[in-house]
Amino acid sequence: MSRWRGELEALSAALCFGLAPIFAKKGLMSGLDPFYGVAIAIGIALFVNICFVLLTNQGTRLMSIKQYGLFFAILAGLCNTVAILSYFGAMSLGKVALVVPITCIYPLFTLLTAYLFMRESEVINRYTVIGSFLIVFGVILLAI
Amino acid sequence: MDLSIFLSTLCALSWGLQAIFLKVAMRRIPLYTTILITLTINFIVIIALISIGSGFFQFYHIRFPVYFYFMIAGFLNYFLGRGFYYSSFRFISVTRGTSISSSYPILSVAISIMVLGEKLPIHQFLGIGLTLTGVYLLMIKGKR
Repeated sequence: MSRWRGELEALSAALCFGLAPIFAKKGLMSGLDPFYGVAIAIGIALFVNICFVLLTNQGTRLMSIKQYGLFFAILAGLCNTVAILSYFGAMSLGKVALVVPITCIYPLFTLLTAYLFMRESEVINRYTVIGSFLIVFGVILLAI
Repeated sequence: MDLSIFLSTLCALSWGLQAIFLKVAMRRIPLYTTILITLTINFIVIIALISIGSGFFQFYHIRFPVYFYFMIAGFLNYFLGRGFYYSSFRFISVTRGTSISSSYPILSVAISIMVLGEKLPIHQFLGIGLTLTGVYLLMIKGKR
């Protein structure tokens, strides 16, 4: 089982990412501004995460974080925030049928960046490239 | 260029780059510390934008069921989903982890078929086929 741990975790992430919008949609049916919904969702996740870190005694490690790792974690957080904000901005300005397919191409940006800058650690073969493109095209077809 | 197209592309680019920065960050810092940092940045920026925008008063008028739905959505998406997604990078390449987890719209379609009894147009069946083939290629053939 541990041989497949990474793949199973990625599939479990897909399951969670797929289930979450069902509940978010239920919440949005009340007419609430989505921005407030995201604030509640991130707030509760942050609260649960803080509890988890403290209960598992990982809090002490926070003080010994290497600056290098912290820098990239902050960059990842900023990228994520820009993604959330630009998604809402695009949704409020443009048509869903146009915005959703464009945002679905993000694995291809990951693929390209990994190919350009992480060739020493990333396994990128023809199956990875074909598989990524197939998923992106499949998801675009599902979204339109 | 249409602003919505620019924002959608910026969103995809940010999401794509985020995965690369995470992979680098997690070489130096633990999984849940990374999630904590990214969530904290998300939360601070969104709360700051709400405070300079329409303010916090709307939070007082949100009914409990709406809070509840967003709490579940936040737990699933930003805590569990992110936990699995980020964790998968420790075992498989960032390209495979990102692409496999991006197949989540297929779940929404499966639910709409099984629970709501919806009928799908032909292009969505094609989308399901392409997505599943892509996941298969990444999981089985992409492994080296």
